Parts: sequence; structure tokens; C-alpha cells
Amino acid sequence: MSAQGEPEKGFGSRSIQALALAATFGVLFAATRLAPEFEGHLRTVSAVGFLLLAGTLLSELLEIIGLPHLSGYLLAGVLGGPHVLHLVDHHTVEGLSRVNALALALIALAGGAELRIDTLRGLSKSLGVAMLVQSVFVLAASAGAFVALAPSIPFVQGFSFWPVLGVALLWGVLSVSRSPAACLAILSQTRARGPVSTFSLAFVMASDVVVVVLLAIATMIARLLLGSAEGFSLHSFEALGHELLGSVAVGTTLGLVLAAYLRLVGGQFLLVLLGVGFVLTDFLRYVHFDPLLAFLTAGFVVQNMTGQGARLLHEVEKMASVVFVIFFATAGAHLDLPLLARLWPVALVLAGSRAAATFVAARLSSRLAGDVPTVRAWGWSSLISQAGLTLGLAVVVGRAFPTFAEGFRSLAIAVVALNEVIGPILFKLALERAGETHREDLAVRTSLAPKPRATSGPA
Amino acid sequence: MSGGVEVLLGLLILAYLGSVLVAGRTIRGFGLPSGAEYLVLGVVLGPHLLGVVQRSTVKDFEPLLGAAAAWLAFVAGLGFSIVGERRVRLRGAVLGVVSASFVAGLVGGALFFALGALDALSPAERLPAALGAGAVSCESTRQAVRWIVERHGARGPVSDAMADIARTSALVPVLVLGAMFAMASDAPLERLAAPARLCVGAALGLSLGVMAAVLLGREFRRDESWGLLLGTTLLAAGVTTRLGLSAMTTLFVMGLTLSFVSRHRFEIKLMVEPTEKPVMLPVVLFAGAYVDFDAVAWLPALVAVALAARVAAELVRGVAFTKLVQGAKGAGPLIGLGLASTGSISLAVAFSAFIRLPGAASSLVLAIAAASLVFGEMVAPALLRRALERAGETRAVAPVEPSPLSSPRAAPPRAEGTGPAP
Repeated sequence: MSAQGEPEKGFGSRSIQALALAATFGVLFAATRLAPEFEGHLRTVSAVGFLLLAGTLLSELLEIIGLPHLSGYLLAGVLGGPHVLHLVDHHTVEGLSRVNALALALIALAGGAELRIDTLRGLSKSLGVAMLVQSVFVLAASAGAFVALAPSIPFVQGFSFWPVLGVALLWGVLSVSRSPAACLAILSQTRARGPVSTFSLAFVMASDVVVVVLLAIATMIARLLLGSAEGFSLHSFEALGHELLGSVAVGTTLGLVLAAYLRLVGGQFLLVLLGVGFVLTDFLRYVHFDPLLAFLTAGFVVQNMTGQGARLLHEVEKMASVVFVIFFATAGAHLDLPLLARLWPVALVLAGSRAAATFVAARLSSRLAGDVPTVRAWGWSSLISQAGLTLGLAVVVGRAFPTFAEGFRSLAIAVVALNEVIGPILFKLALERAGETHREDLAVRTSLAPKPRATSGPA
Repeated sequence: MSGGVEVLLGLLILAYLGSVLVAGRTIRGFGLPSGAEYLVLGVVLGPHLLGVVQRSTVKDFEPLLGAAAAWLAFVAGLGFSIVGERRVRLRGAVLGVVSASFVAGLVGGALFFALGALDALSPAERLPAALGAGAVSCESTRQAVRWIVERHGARGPVSDAMADIARTSALVPVLVLGAMFAMASDAPLERLAAPARLCVGAALGLSLGVMAAVLLGREFRRDESWGLLLGTTLLAAGVTTRLGLSAMTTLFVMGLTLSFVSRHRFEIKLMVEPTEKPVMLPVVLFAGAYVDFDAVAWLPALVAVALAARVAAELVRGVAFTKLVQGAKGAGPLIGLGLASTGSISLAVAFSAFIRLPGAASSLVLAIAAASLVFGEMVAPALLRRALERAGETRAVAPVEPSPLSSPRAAPPRAEGTGPAP
């Protein structure tokens, strides 16, 4: 709907949106009461429709108080989800995970296509330092906070120090992960462009690879500390190599195929994206490759090795208004409010310590890398958000350590819930303060390519 | 979804990409608008021939296909009153709806009597079967008319009338489907009478259509409008289905409402029309996989009766056109058969009925819809072209690349029934 640079909407428009929102909730509420035992085929379809419509309208209304659209999508999911109005039940929310997989694939594709080699080259020092400092400092600080809070964390009660340290290490890796989806959603809404936007996008996308590596190392160490029967094994590295190289290989091939399609056929690319998103995500999971990394690579290849990058971005951008709403509204519906109510004190401290560590690490790395003032001041803001990627990592940890899987996952959900709500608000606020959102010359944000070199990153 | 679904989806994508690559060079050259090949492919892959696609696998796709069928009805509703850049003329609209109702009545009546004579279905199933058969046999797909008009540069009052009639004929099958769903005994709104249930579905479409029109507001932003349009249509489809009503009928009404109320009707139509083909192909393919040749005794005879009744009805309709449509006298009564192409709406109606009201009656309706589609596509375009030639409305121009179901990008910006650009 509205984006940065549009004329302000008046009271009449907002009233209509509020009425339409009430009607949307009312229609589905009435239908669920009239036919409560519905087991029909289109339950998922009505849920998608509801989340899409309610999310879009709520995001418009929350715009009045300066909140990002993403917060509106999340709130729509929370309100309509299984813990509040129960318009979308648990079963349907689980069913929507396939739609989420598709959304994540498209988000990664767009993220990869936003990364240009010349941008990365200009940012290489800044990115390298930030990645190192963030990974080490945030991991250590979050693990430390976890160890300190261990007596209050139910699922590590009775653990001695070394096993707690093992779990804390895994928690630290989770804290290093960020949300590419939230970053792209905010950039897409605000059409921001400038050093903070460029740095944030490049860092968040690249950190996905780092997190995968860190998780493999942490899993190996945690096994030792927890006295796992599997013990120390280099097999984890073999699996990691297989996953990383395989994902990059598939991603490269996919990128070339997509570029060839865009060049030779071009038409109905939306359908191709949908098909690729659904089928390939399942295939990649089946062969234990990382879909996010594969799609990220594909987007990167199309942008940097073929002449079709702008076209790919344009096609994905066309779907952005739909994809982001569904993704985050479903995430909102997924939020386990009773769990959050139970774990909120611990979750709040863990989320707070992570945010503080991220802030300090960002300031430190900016100073070391000699970043421009805006990145130095606001570069941390995009690193607070967490979403589906972090929850996916928690599931991976749970599979590796079934003894505390449930508790670990629950705590991760509670912390991600907080970061998911607060992170995007901070990032939008930072982009506004950095003066990167008020670009009236950008009717459409086609890419974050560093057109004016002087403003695209540190010298 | 099961593993087989992914394989099937992959096959579908491959088939689709193949059709995109070879489009306009093969099947169209023989006069079959794109789409029938998918029906045949579905039948061949289905459980009754090769068995590559099993019924249980296809069942996983039903939610998507139900939504796809409803979306097709939305697009048809949106285009109900618009031909290219002009409004459908009232006279053409009345002719379209009345003549389609006549064809539906004649086909339905003939089948009803045939079912009784052959004792093929139980008495309770005969009326739904006859209603369904009438509904899936009365539509004249607008793509076929557009194809002839574009390919042969037809221009004049007869071409215009044919375009109007084809656009508006979609109302009848969609309304009949709504009535069939409303009459179903297991509807959750059992306290309401059948007509009231039909009205509930229509009212929902109307109100959500008005809401979408208002929300799309003064400034139309194409990409950002997708969220609103998809949201309202999917919500309407889901809620209607939950209430046991026809999502196709509700979405048709919604599209119709938008086409009358929204100031952006032309932009919206341009925006959604390119989606019709990708949405239609899976519906046609899976409908083909659902066709059951053993569902009803005397199936070939019953299908033949329905087709024969349609031919008779079209000839009568053709005679009526020569008297009622200005300039159609020279075209002859065969012009009626030129409108015998049924399209995705008819097949989607049959498919929706099959999903919602499974049984021998809906299997028969689906078989008749499939046969009508193939028959219509083989016969109608050639006869329509000939009729327009005889009416003096085609020009001796080099055939342009036809785009029976294609996006506006592939089609020239000229409307069907308005002749070639000067």
C-alpha cells in the first residue's frame, strides 16, 4: 500500500481502512462460529487471505504511529492466531509453513540479487571486521548470559557447569543469527538507500553462511561438553562441507537457469519462481542442503554473472507486498503467547543482553574498520531482528540434542518473539534517523547498488 | 503433501515451460486454442489410462485447485462487462445470458430424459446431473472469439456481438453451480432455505467487492494492490467454502462488482488477466486426471446426447442470431456453432462440483465438460471464422500471432470485436 514518499493519508482513508479491518475480522469470525467443524479443503486458503488482508490493513493503520509495516503483519497474525481469536488454528498455521518456505526462498533470492560484487568489494573491510567482532563478542556475551541465568532456566536444571556451558555455546550461536527477511522487508517498505542500508543488507545476508559454520563447530564442542555418546568426530565438518558446497553448487546452477529463462523466455516468471520455490526447497532439504544459502547464491549469480539482475529484482519486488505479509503474519500466528508469558523474565534478559552485546560489538567493529559516521551510529540496528532462520537453527540443535530439545526450542521461540517485534521497529527508526528513507527521487527501489559511490559505504 | 505431489508439480512445471517455449507453433496451427492439450494430458496421466497420477495424489492438490477455480471465476466476473477498452453492450449482454440459459436448458433437459430412459443414475441424482450438464455446456469461451478476431482481423457488429455474448455467457454456469451448492443437503447453513444460501454467497461477493474497490482507492498502485486483491479473494473463497457455498459464484460476483464499482476496473483487469493462463492450466490438467470413464453406465451415450443437444441448441441459437444481430444474416445459422467453444470456466465449474458433491452425477458432469471442451475447440473456431468471413467482417490480412489465453503483452492492445488497429 503506501510507501515512503507517498502523500499522507487523511482521516477518511484511515477510517475506511479501520472499517475494512473490522469487517475482515468479522467475516472470518462469523464463518468460524457458523461452521466450527470445518474440515474443508480451503481452510489454508482462507487463512492466507485473512492474514494477507488483515496484515496489509493493520500495517497501514500502525503507520500512523510510525511503526513499520512488518509490525502490522505480525500483529495481525497474533490477533487472528490460535492464542487470541483463534481464527487461524494450530493445524492451519502448521500448514502454512510450506508457504513460508516459498517466502523464504524468494526473500533469499532477492537478498542475493541485492548483493553486488562492487558493493561487497567496497565494504569488504567493514564487513570482515564486523563479522568477526559480532560473531565472537555476541556469541561469548550471549553464552555468558545463558550460564549466568542457568539456575532460572528450567531445562538445564540439574546440569553441572560443563554441560551448561555446552548448551550456552549453542545458545550463543543462535544469538549470532539475524533475520534476512526482516531486513529486506524494512528496506522494501522504506525504499531506503545509503550506507546503513547497504551495510545492513550485505552483513545480514553474509552472516547466514557464518552462522551455519559456527553451528557445526559449536555442535561438535557441545557434544564433548555434554558427554554425548557420539563424542568428538570430524564427520560434522564433512557434513558441513557437503552442505555448504552443495548449496552453493545448486544455487549457482539455479542462478544460471533462471538467468537463461529470463533471457530466452521471460514470460510468466512469477510461476517459475513459485515452482522453483516450492519444489527446490523440498529437494534441497531432502539432500540436506541449505535452501537459504542456495537461493542466496542463485540471486547473487544472476546479479553478478549475468545481465538479468535488475529484471530478477523487479520480478521479485512485484511479489514483495504479498510475500512479506504472509511470511510475517504467519510468524505472528506462530508466536506462542502462553509460552512467552511463562518464560518472559528469562527471555527478556537474554534478549536484552544480546541486544547490548550487538550494540557494543557494532560500535567496536565500526571504530576498527573506520566506517562512515552513520554506519558507526546505526549499523547495529538491523542486527537485532530474529525470525524464522533462528527458529530453524533451534530445530537443528533440537535434532542434535534431543534431551533438551523441547526446552531449548521454547526459550528460542520466546526470545525470537521479542526480537521479532522490537528489531524491525529499531531498524526503521535508525534508517529514518540516518536520513536514508526520505529519498523522493526513488519511486521504485530497484536495487541497493552503489550508484553514487561516495554514499554507498565507507571509503 | 506427499512425495508424489512434488514429482507431479515438477511435471506440471516442465509441461508448462514446454508449452511456453513452443507456443504458437504447433497446436494452435490446427485450430485448437491452448488448454485442451492439458486436458488430454491429464486424462492420459490419470488413473484410468497410464496411472502415473493416482487419485490420492491429485487429492492433495484440491485446496489449490479449488482456489484456482474460484480465481478463474473472479477473472471472468471482472471481464464480464468489459471487452478490451469498452463496455459490453446491454443488448449483447442480454443475448449472451438468455441464449446461454437456453442452451443450458436444452442440454440439461435432453440429458434428464436420457438418464431416465437409460436408467443410468438414481432418480435423486438425475436433476443435479442435468443441471450440471447444462451448466458446463452453455458457456462460449471468450478466448476462442478473441483468437479468431485477432488472428483474422475481424471487425464489425457481428464480431462485437460475438465478443459480448461470449463474455456474458459465463454468468449462467457460475450461477447454476451456486444453486447446486446451495441445494446440497450437507450445507452448514442448513437453517436457511436454498435461495437464501445462494444470496448469502452473492452478498459476500458483493460486499467484499465493494470493500476491495474502496480500499484500492484513488491512486492505483499495481504491485501494491496485489496484497489487497489476493487477500479479499482468498478470504472470500475460504469463507464461502467453509459455509458450504460455491466459491466460484462468490468470486464471480466479487469480480463483477469490482468491474462496476471500481474506478480502476481497466487497470485491475489488465493486472489479473495474465494470471488466467497459469491458473487455468493446472485446473484443466487435474480435471482431466479426474475424468472417470467407468463412473456411470452408458457414459459414451450420455455424453453423445449432451453434445448432440448442444449442437441442436447452437443451431437454433445461430438462427436467432441471424435475425437479432445486425449484419449477421449473411453469416448463416452455423454462427451458433461458432460459439460452441467451452473454456476453463465450464471445466472449473465441473471440477468444483466434483470436489464438493462427489458421486456418479458429478463424474458424469465432468466427463461431459471434458468432451465439450475438446469438441468445442475442434469445431467452433473454424466455424466462427467462416461465419465472420461470410458476414464480411474478416480482412485479408496476414495472420497475427494468436493469443487465445495469453497475457496482454502477447496480445496487441486492441480489443476483441473491435477490428485490427488502423
